[in-house]
Amino acid sequence: MTVMRDTVVKALAKVQVQSDENGLIPEYEVLVNLLPVSLLNTFSERIMAAAPPERKAEVEAGLVRAAYECGYHTGCGIITSEIFSDVVMPMVTEDEKDILRGAYAAFTAWGWAKSGIVQLKEAEKMTIRAFDYYEADSGGQGLRGFMLRGLSQAFFDLAYAEPYPDGMDTYICHQTKGLEVGDSYGEFVVVKK
Amino acid sequence: MTQQSVPTLIQEQPDNSLKGNLSLTNVTNLLQFLSMSSKRGVIELVRYPSNNEGRIYFVGEELVSAQSGVLTGIPGFADLLSWEQGTFHFLPDIACIDKTIGLNVQHAILEAVTLLDHQANEKAINQNSEVEEGGFSMEPTERDSSEVMNSLLEVPGVDAVVVVGRDGFVIESAGSSSRVNIEELGASLAHSINGIEEMGSELNVNNFQDMFIEYGRAVIMCRPVGDAVAAIITPDASKLGVIRHKAKKLFVELGQSF
Repeated sequence: MTVMRDTVVKALAKVQVQSDENGLIPEYEVLVNLLPVSLLNTFSERIMAAAPPERKAEVEAGLVRAAYECGYHTGCGIITSEIFSDVVMPMVTEDEKDILRGAYAAFTAWGWAKSGIVQLKEAEKMTIRAFDYYEADSGGQGLRGFMLRGLSQAFFDLAYAEPYPDGMDTYICHQTKGLEVGDSYGEFVVVKK
Repeated sequence: MTQQSVPTLIQEQPDNSLKGNLSLTNVTNLLQFLSMSSKRGVIELVRYPSNNEGRIYFVGEELVSAQSGVLTGIPGFADLLSWEQGTFHFLPDIACIDKTIGLNVQHAILEAVTLLDHQANEKAINQNSEVEEGGFSMEPTERDSSEVMNSLLEVPGVDAVVVVGRDGFVIESAGSSSRVNIEELGASLAHSINGIEEMGSELNVNNFQDMFIEYGRAVIMCRPVGDAVAAIITPDASKLGVIRHKAKKLFVELGQSF
Protein backbone atom coordinates (compact mmCIF):
# COMPACT_ATOMS: atom_id res chain seq x y z
CA MET A 1 0.00 0.00 0.00
CA THR A 2 1.10 3.52 -0.68
CA VAL A 3 -0.73 6.80 -0.23
CA MET A 4 -3.70 6.89 -2.57
CA ARG A 5 -4.25 10.39 -3.79
CA ASP A 6 -7.96 10.08 -4.50
CA THR A 7 -8.62 8.73 -1.01
CA VAL A 8 -6.78 11.67 0.57
CA VAL A 9 -8.46 14.26 -1.65
CA LYS A 10 -11.94 12.87 -0.97
CA ALA A 11 -11.37 12.71 2.79
CA LEU A 12 -9.81 16.17 3.10
CA ALA A 13 -12.31 17.85 0.81
CA LYS A 14 -15.03 16.96 3.33
CA VAL A 15 -13.33 18.85 6.16
CA GLN A 16 -15.30 21.91 7.24
CA VAL A 17 -13.25 25.04 7.90
CA GLN A 18 -14.70 27.66 10.20
CA SER A 19 -12.91 30.95 10.82
CA ASP A 20 -13.02 32.71 14.19
CA GLU A 21 -14.10 36.32 14.80
CA ASN A 22 -10.75 37.55 13.38
CA GLY A 23 -11.12 35.54 10.17
CA LEU A 24 -8.43 33.08 11.26
CA ILE A 25 -8.84 29.34 11.07
CA PRO A 26 -7.19 27.34 13.84
CA GLU A 27 -5.94 24.28 11.95
CA TYR A 28 -2.75 22.19 11.92
CA GLU A 29 -1.37 23.81 15.09
CA VAL A 30 -1.23 27.19 13.31
CA LEU A 31 -3.67 29.88 12.23
CA VAL A 32 -4.57 29.98 8.55
CA ASN A 33 -6.88 32.29 6.66
CA LEU A 34 -9.09 32.27 3.62
CA LEU A 35 -8.31 35.07 1.17
CA PRO A 36 -8.70 35.41 -2.60
CA VAL A 37 -5.76 34.29 -4.75
CA SER A 38 -5.95 37.57 -6.64
CA LEU A 39 -4.86 39.39 -3.47
CA LEU A 40 -1.59 37.43 -3.37
CA ASN A 41 -1.01 37.84 -7.10
CA THR A 42 -1.73 41.56 -7.04
CA PHE A 43 0.64 42.03 -4.11
CA SER A 44 3.38 39.98 -5.81
CA GLU A 45 3.06 41.76 -9.14
CA ARG A 46 2.96 45.23 -7.58
CA ILE A 47 6.05 44.62 -5.52
CA MET A 48 7.84 43.12 -8.54
CA ALA A 49 6.82 46.06 -10.71
CA ALA A 50 7.99 48.55 -8.10
CA ALA A 51 11.45 46.99 -7.84
CA PRO A 52 14.22 48.40 -10.03
CA PRO A 53 15.60 45.88 -12.58
CA GLU A 54 18.76 45.18 -10.57
CA ARG A 55 16.71 44.25 -7.49
CA LYS A 56 13.98 42.13 -9.10
CA ALA A 57 15.83 38.87 -8.37
CA GLU A 58 16.05 39.90 -4.74
CA VAL A 59 12.31 40.62 -4.58
CA GLU A 60 11.55 37.31 -6.28
CA ALA A 61 13.73 35.50 -3.73
CA GLY A 62 11.84 37.34 -0.97
CA LEU A 63 8.47 36.15 -2.27
CA VAL A 64 9.74 32.55 -2.44
CA ARG A 65 11.18 32.95 1.04
CA ALA A 66 7.83 34.10 2.42
CA ALA A 67 6.15 31.02 0.97
CA TYR A 68 8.99 28.86 2.27
CA GLU A 69 8.82 30.10 5.88
CA CYS A 70 5.04 29.74 5.88
CA GLY A 71 5.28 26.30 4.27
CA TYR A 72 7.96 25.05 6.65
CA HIS A 73 6.06 25.86 9.84
CA THR A 74 2.54 25.21 8.53
CA GLY A 75 3.80 22.06 6.78
CA CYS A 76 5.10 20.67 10.06
CA GLY A 77 1.69 21.38 11.56
CA ILE A 78 -0.03 19.65 8.68
CA ILE A 79 1.98 16.44 8.67
CA THR A 80 1.73 16.09 12.43
CA SER A 81 -1.95 17.05 12.59
CA GLU A 82 -4.73 14.74 13.73
CA ILE A 83 -6.46 14.79 10.37
CA PHE A 84 -3.24 13.93 8.48
CA SER A 85 -2.63 11.09 10.96
CA ASP A 86 -6.16 9.79 10.45
CA VAL A 87 -6.33 10.09 6.66
CA VAL A 88 -2.80 9.77 5.32
CA MET A 89 -0.65 7.94 7.86
CA PRO A 90 -2.52 4.60 7.68
CA MET A 91 -1.50 4.40 4.00
CA VAL A 92 2.15 5.31 4.56
CA THR A 93 4.49 2.41 3.79
CA GLU A 94 7.35 4.26 2.14
CA ASP A 95 8.01 6.73 4.96
CA GLU A 96 9.00 10.21 3.72
CA LYS A 97 8.11 9.46 0.12
CA ASP A 98 4.54 8.64 1.08
CA ILE A 99 4.29 11.61 3.43
CA LEU A 100 5.24 13.87 0.51
CA ARG A 101 2.67 12.13 -1.72
CA GLY A 102 0.10 12.81 0.99
CA ALA A 103 1.21 16.44 1.25
CA TYR A 104 0.71 17.10 -2.47
CA ALA A 105 -2.67 15.35 -2.36
CA ALA A 106 -3.54 17.75 0.48
CA PHE A 107 -2.39 20.75 -1.62
CA THR A 108 -4.78 19.60 -4.31
CA ALA A 109 -7.67 18.97 -1.91
CA TRP A 110 -7.34 22.41 -0.36
CA GLY A 111 -6.99 24.18 -3.70
CA TRP A 112 -3.40 25.37 -3.17
CA ALA A 113 -2.05 23.64 -6.28
CA LYS A 114 -3.24 20.74 -8.38
CA SER A 115 0.11 19.08 -8.17
CA GLY A 116 1.90 15.80 -7.63
CA ILE A 117 5.27 14.09 -7.59
CA VAL A 118 6.75 13.03 -10.92
CA GLN A 119 10.10 11.75 -9.74
CA LEU A 120 11.71 11.44 -6.34
CA LYS A 121 15.24 10.41 -5.43
CA GLU A 122 15.19 10.20 -1.68
CA ALA A 123 17.00 13.07 0.04
CA GLU A 124 18.45 14.14 -3.31
CA LYS A 125 15.96 15.42 -5.81
CA MET A 126 12.23 15.78 -6.37
CA THR A 127 10.35 16.84 -9.52
CA ILE A 128 6.84 18.21 -9.13
CA ARG A 129 4.32 18.82 -11.87
CA ALA A 130 1.41 21.20 -11.35
CA PHE A 131 -1.60 21.76 -13.56
CA ASP A 132 -2.96 24.68 -11.58
CA TYR A 133 -1.41 26.92 -8.94
CA TYR A 134 -1.82 30.40 -7.48
CA GLU A 135 0.40 32.28 -9.90
CA ALA A 136 -0.59 30.36 -13.04
CA ASP A 137 -2.59 33.40 -14.19
CA SER A 138 -0.66 36.11 -12.37
CA GLY A 139 -0.22 38.23 -15.50
CA GLY A 140 3.46 38.87 -14.78
CA GLN A 141 6.31 38.16 -17.15
CA GLY A 142 8.41 35.02 -16.80
CA LEU A 143 8.10 32.12 -14.37
CA ARG A 144 6.00 33.15 -11.38
CA GLY A 145 5.35 30.05 -9.28
CA PHE A 146 6.77 31.60 -6.10
CA MET A 147 4.31 29.94 -3.72
CA LEU A 148 4.78 26.38 -4.97
CA ARG A 149 8.55 26.87 -5.13
CA GLY A 150 8.59 27.86 -1.47
CA LEU A 151 6.19 25.11 -0.41
CA SER A 152 8.05 22.38 -2.31
CA GLN A 153 11.38 23.42 -0.82
CA ALA A 154 9.79 23.52 2.65
CA PHE A 155 8.23 20.07 2.40
CA PHE A 156 11.44 18.48 1.12
CA ASP A 157 13.29 20.08 4.04
CA LEU A 158 10.67 18.68 6.43
CA ALA A 159 10.96 15.22 4.87
CA TYR A 160 14.71 14.80 4.44
CA ALA A 161 16.64 17.52 6.28
CA GLU A 162 17.33 17.70 10.04
CA PRO A 163 14.19 17.32 12.18
CA TYR A 164 11.99 20.41 12.61
CA PRO A 165 12.95 23.19 13.34
CA ASP A 166 16.65 22.60 12.54
CA GLY A 167 16.39 21.56 8.91
CA MET A 168 15.70 24.87 7.21
CA ASP A 169 17.53 25.84 4.01
CA THR A 170 18.92 22.42 3.22
CA TYR A 171 17.25 22.21 -0.19
CA ILE A 172 16.29 24.69 -2.87
CA CYS A 173 13.51 24.65 -5.46
CA HIS A 174 13.77 25.89 -9.06
CA GLN A 175 10.86 26.36 -11.43
CA THR A 176 11.65 24.97 -14.89
CA LYS A 177 8.28 25.24 -16.67
CA GLY A 178 5.18 27.32 -16.10
CA LEU A 179 1.56 27.62 -17.20
CA GLU A 180 2.10 31.39 -16.97
CA VAL A 181 4.68 31.26 -19.78
CA GLY A 182 2.62 29.01 -22.05
CA ASP A 183 3.84 25.55 -21.02
CA SER A 184 1.23 22.85 -20.60
CA TYR A 185 2.14 22.44 -16.93
CA GLY A 186 4.33 23.94 -14.25
CA GLU A 187 7.43 21.99 -13.27
CA PHE A 188 9.36 22.45 -10.04
CA VAL A 189 12.62 20.73 -9.18
CA VAL A 190 13.96 20.51 -5.62
CA VAL A 191 17.67 19.77 -5.17
CA LYS A 192 20.26 20.09 -2.44
CA LYS A 193 21.46 23.68 -1.90
CA MET B 1 9.62 -16.52 -57.14
CA THR B 2 12.54 -18.42 -55.62
CA GLN B 3 12.47 -22.10 -54.88
CA GLN B 4 10.93 -23.02 -51.53
CA SER B 5 13.40 -24.50 -49.12
CA VAL B 6 10.70 -26.17 -46.99
CA PRO B 7 9.30 -29.26 -48.75
CA THR B 8 5.58 -28.98 -49.57
CA LEU B 9 2.84 -31.13 -51.04
CA ILE B 10 1.12 -28.96 -53.67
CA GLN B 11 -2.38 -29.93 -54.80
CA GLU B 12 -3.75 -28.51 -58.04
CA GLN B 13 -6.28 -25.78 -57.27
CA PRO B 14 -7.95 -22.91 -59.17
CA ASP B 15 -6.45 -19.43 -58.41
CA ASN B 16 -8.35 -18.60 -55.23
CA SER B 17 -5.38 -16.95 -53.56
CA LEU B 18 -5.35 -13.73 -51.52
CA LYS B 19 -2.74 -11.05 -52.18
CA GLY B 20 -2.02 -7.70 -50.63
CA ASN B 21 0.38 -5.19 -49.21
CA LEU B 22 1.72 -5.16 -45.66
CA SER B 23 1.18 -1.41 -45.50
CA LEU B 24 -2.57 -2.16 -45.40
CA THR B 25 -2.43 -4.78 -42.68
CA ASN B 26 0.24 -6.65 -40.76
CA VAL B 27 1.31 -10.26 -40.47
CA THR B 28 -0.35 -10.75 -37.07
CA ASN B 29 -3.76 -9.49 -38.21
CA LEU B 30 -3.59 -11.41 -41.47
CA LEU B 31 -2.69 -14.67 -39.78
CA GLN B 32 -5.32 -14.23 -37.05
CA PHE B 33 -8.00 -13.49 -39.66
CA LEU B 34 -7.16 -16.50 -41.83
CA SER B 35 -6.72 -18.97 -39.00
CA MET B 36 -9.95 -17.89 -37.31
CA SER B 37 -11.72 -18.42 -40.65
CA SER B 38 -10.58 -22.07 -40.43
CA LYS B 39 -8.36 -21.71 -43.50
CA ARG B 40 -5.26 -23.78 -44.18
CA GLY B 41 -2.34 -23.05 -46.43
CA VAL B 42 0.73 -20.89 -46.71
CA ILE B 43 1.26 -17.13 -46.50
CA GLU B 44 4.20 -16.17 -48.68
CA LEU B 45 5.81 -12.86 -47.78
CA VAL B 46 8.27 -10.58 -49.56
CA ARG B 47 9.83 -7.79 -47.52
CA TYR B 48 10.58 -4.36 -48.98
CA PRO B 49 13.07 -3.01 -49.80
CA SER B 50 15.37 -5.97 -49.08
CA ASN B 51 13.24 -8.52 -51.03
CA ASN B 52 13.75 -11.10 -48.28
CA GLU B 53 11.24 -13.95 -48.46
CA GLY B 54 9.33 -15.76 -45.78
CA ARG B 55 6.56 -18.35 -45.37
CA ILE B 56 4.04 -19.23 -42.73
CA TYR B 57 2.19 -22.55 -42.90
CA PHE B 58 -0.92 -23.09 -40.85
CA VAL B 59 -3.90 -25.40 -40.57
CA GLY B 60 -6.88 -23.67 -38.99
CA GLU B 61 -5.75 -22.38 -35.61
CA GLU B 62 -2.50 -24.35 -35.60
CA LEU B 63 0.67 -22.66 -36.76
CA VAL B 64 2.62 -25.48 -38.32
CA SER B 65 5.80 -23.91 -39.59
CA ALA B 66 7.47 -20.61 -40.41
CA GLN B 67 10.58 -19.59 -42.24
CA SER B 68 12.37 -16.29 -42.78
CA GLY B 69 15.57 -16.69 -44.76
CA VAL B 70 17.62 -19.23 -42.83
CA LEU B 71 15.55 -18.76 -39.65
CA THR B 72 12.84 -21.32 -38.97
CA GLY B 73 10.43 -22.06 -36.11
CA ILE B 74 9.60 -19.32 -33.59
CA PRO B 75 12.75 -17.25 -34.39
CA GLY B 76 11.75 -17.22 -38.07
CA PHE B 77 8.13 -16.41 -37.20
CA ALA B 78 9.22 -13.60 -34.86
CA ASP B 79 11.31 -12.08 -37.62
CA LEU B 80 8.31 -12.14 -40.00
CA LEU B 81 6.11 -10.38 -37.41
CA SER B 82 8.49 -7.43 -37.45
CA TRP B 83 8.08 -6.86 -41.20
CA GLU B 84 6.19 -3.65 -41.89
CA GLN B 85 6.69 -3.13 -45.62
CA GLY B 86 6.22 -5.73 -48.34
CA THR B 87 3.64 -8.00 -49.91
CA PHE B 88 1.79 -11.13 -48.87
CA HIS B 89 0.24 -13.92 -50.90
CA PHE B 90 -1.98 -16.52 -49.27
CA LEU B 91 -2.15 -19.84 -51.10
CA PRO B 92 -4.84 -22.13 -49.67
CA ASP B 93 -4.60 -25.86 -49.11
CA ILE B 94 -0.83 -26.07 -49.26
CA ALA B 95 0.57 -28.30 -46.57
CA CYS B 96 4.03 -28.33 -45.05
CA ILE B 97 5.85 -31.55 -44.34
CA ASP B 98 8.24 -30.19 -41.72
CA LYS B 99 6.54 -29.09 -38.53
CA THR B 100 8.87 -26.52 -36.92
CA ILE B 101 6.34 -24.85 -34.59
CA GLY B 102 3.13 -26.81 -33.98
CA LEU B 103 1.46 -24.30 -31.65
CA ASN B 104 -1.89 -22.57 -31.52
CA VAL B 105 -1.64 -19.32 -33.54
CA GLN B 106 -2.27 -17.03 -30.52
CA HIS B 107 0.26 -18.94 -28.44
CA ALA B 108 2.84 -18.74 -31.24
CA ILE B 109 2.28 -14.97 -31.60
CA LEU B 110 2.87 -14.48 -27.86
CA GLU B 111 6.01 -16.63 -27.98
CA ALA B 112 7.30 -14.66 -30.96
CA VAL B 113 6.52 -11.28 -29.37
CA THR B 114 8.29 -12.37 -26.17
CA LEU B 115 11.32 -13.37 -28.23
CA LEU B 116 11.30 -9.99 -29.99
CA ASP B 117 11.12 -8.30 -26.58
CA HIS B 118 14.17 -10.23 -25.39
CA GLN B 119 16.05 -9.37 -28.57
CA ALA B 120 15.16 -5.68 -28.19
CA ASN B 121 16.33 -5.77 -24.54
CA GLU B 122 19.63 -7.36 -25.46
CA LYS B 123 20.13 -4.83 -28.22
CA ALA B 124 19.43 -1.96 -25.81
CA ILE B 125 21.85 -3.40 -23.23
CA ASN B 126 24.56 -3.79 -25.89
CA GLN B 127 24.00 -0.24 -27.11
CA ASN B 128 24.20 1.08 -23.55
CA SER B 129 27.45 -0.76 -22.87
CA GLU B 130 28.88 0.55 -26.14
CA VAL B 131 27.96 4.07 -25.11
CA GLU B 132 29.50 3.56 -21.66
CA GLU B 133 32.70 2.17 -23.12
CA GLY B 134 32.95 4.85 -25.78
CA GLY B 135 32.02 7.67 -23.41
CA PHE B 136 29.77 9.35 -25.94
CA SER B 137 26.84 8.48 -28.13
CA MET B 138 25.96 9.20 -31.73
CA GLU B 139 22.29 8.55 -30.90
CA PRO B 140 19.94 11.53 -31.02
CA THR B 141 19.57 13.48 -27.77
CA GLU B 142 17.11 12.21 -25.17
CA ARG B 143 13.49 12.96 -26.07
CA ASP B 144 11.12 14.42 -23.50
CA SER B 145 8.14 12.44 -22.25
CA SER B 146 5.62 14.26 -24.49
CA GLU B 147 7.52 13.27 -27.62
CA VAL B 148 7.74 9.64 -26.54
CA MET B 149 4.02 9.58 -25.72
CA ASN B 150 3.22 10.99 -29.14
CA SER B 151 5.27 8.16 -30.67
CA LEU B 152 3.19 5.70 -28.65
CA LEU B 153 0.03 7.27 -30.07
CA GLU B 154 1.32 6.53 -33.58
CA VAL B 155 1.26 2.77 -32.87
CA PRO B 156 -1.78 1.41 -34.73
CA GLY B 157 -4.72 0.75 -32.41
CA VAL B 158 -3.61 3.03 -29.56
CA ASP B 159 -6.32 5.52 -28.52
CA ALA B 160 -4.67 7.14 -25.53
CA VAL B 161 -1.59 6.93 -23.35
CA VAL B 162 -1.42 8.00 -19.73
CA VAL B 163 1.39 8.11 -17.17
CA VAL B 164 0.27 7.82 -13.56
CA GLY B 165 2.25 8.16 -10.32
CA ARG B 166 2.07 5.32 -7.80
CA ASP B 167 -0.33 7.48 -5.79
CA GLY B 168 -2.70 7.87 -8.77
CA PHE B 169 -1.57 11.36 -9.81
CA VAL B 170 -2.05 11.70 -13.58
CA ILE B 171 1.36 13.01 -14.56
CA GLU B 172 0.78 13.21 -18.30
CA SER B 173 -1.66 11.99 -20.90
CA ALA B 174 -1.86 12.04 -24.68
CA GLY B 175 -4.56 11.18 -27.19
CA SER B 176 -8.17 10.83 -26.23
CA SER B 177 -10.44 8.03 -25.33
CA SER B 178 -14.18 8.26 -25.03
CA ARG B 179 -14.07 4.86 -23.35
CA VAL B 180 -12.48 5.92 -20.08
CA ASN B 181 -12.11 9.01 -17.93
CA ILE B 182 -8.36 9.61 -17.61
CA GLU B 183 -8.49 11.03 -14.04
CA GLU B 184 -10.56 8.08 -12.85
CA LEU B 185 -8.28 5.70 -14.69
CA GLY B 186 -5.30 7.16 -12.81
CA ALA B 187 -6.89 6.56 -9.42
CA SER B 188 -8.18 3.08 -10.33
CA LEU B 189 -4.88 2.03 -11.82
CA ALA B 190 -2.96 3.07 -8.70
CA HIS B 191 -5.29 0.98 -6.51
CA SER B 192 -4.99 -2.03 -8.85
CA ILE B 193 -1.21 -1.85 -9.15
CA ASN B 194 -0.93 -1.60 -5.39
CA GLY B 195 -2.93 -4.78 -4.97
CA ILE B 196 -0.94 -6.55 -7.66
CA GLU B 197 2.38 -5.52 -6.16
CA GLU B 198 1.28 -6.71 -2.74
CA MET B 199 0.32 -10.03 -4.27
CA GLY B 200 3.68 -10.22 -6.05
CA SER B 201 5.62 -9.61 -2.87
CA GLU B 202 3.53 -12.13 -0.89
CA LEU B 203 4.05 -14.75 -3.58
CA ASN B 204 7.70 -13.76 -3.77
CA VAL B 205 7.61 -13.57 -7.57
CA ASN B 206 9.45 -10.27 -7.96
CA ASN B 207 8.13 -6.93 -9.21
CA PHE B 208 5.11 -6.40 -11.44
CA GLN B 209 6.16 -5.97 -15.08
CA ASP B 210 3.08 -6.09 -17.25
CA MET B 211 -0.70 -6.01 -16.96
CA PHE B 212 -3.47 -6.41 -19.52
CA ILE B 213 -7.10 -5.90 -18.64
CA GLU B 214 -9.68 -6.71 -21.31
CA TYR B 215 -13.12 -5.17 -20.91
CA GLY B 216 -16.03 -5.31 -23.33
CA ARG B 217 -15.31 -1.84 -24.73
CA ALA B 218 -11.64 -1.28 -24.01
CA VAL B 219 -8.35 -2.99 -23.36
CA ILE B 220 -5.89 -1.41 -20.94
CA MET B 221 -2.27 -2.42 -21.02
CA CYS B 222 0.15 -1.07 -18.45
CA ARG B 223 3.78 -1.26 -17.45
CA PRO B 224 6.00 0.43 -14.91
CA VAL B 225 8.00 3.36 -16.31
CA GLY B 226 10.57 4.47 -13.77
CA ASP B 227 8.70 5.29 -10.58
CA ALA B 228 5.41 5.68 -12.40
CA VAL B 229 3.09 3.45 -14.43
CA ALA B 230 2.19 3.96 -18.09
CA ALA B 231 -1.10 2.72 -19.51
CA ILE B 232 -2.23 2.35 -23.10
CA ILE B 233 -5.91 2.30 -23.99
CA THR B 234 -6.99 0.43 -27.09
CA PRO B 235 -10.51 -0.46 -28.28
CA ASP B 236 -10.00 -4.24 -28.48
CA ALA B 237 -7.38 -6.97 -28.21
CA SER B 238 -6.92 -7.62 -31.95
CA LYS B 239 -3.74 -5.51 -32.20
CA LEU B 240 -2.37 -6.29 -28.77
CA GLY B 241 0.58 -8.32 -30.07
CA VAL B 242 1.76 -5.53 -32.35
CA ILE B 243 1.12 -2.83 -29.74
CA ARG B 244 3.04 -4.79 -27.13
CA HIS B 245 5.97 -5.26 -29.48
CA LYS B 246 6.12 -1.68 -30.74
CA ALA B 247 5.46 -0.10 -27.37
CA LYS B 248 8.18 -2.03 -25.56
CA LYS B 249 11.15 0.16 -26.45
CA LEU B 250 9.05 3.33 -26.12
CA PHE B 251 8.11 2.32 -22.57
CA VAL B 252 11.81 1.89 -21.81
CA GLU B 253 12.47 5.36 -23.24
CA LEU B 254 9.54 6.79 -21.29
CA GLY B 255 10.96 5.32 -18.08
CA GLN B 256 13.92 7.70 -18.34
CA SER B 257 11.61 10.64 -17.67
CA PHE B 258 9.91 9.29 -14.53
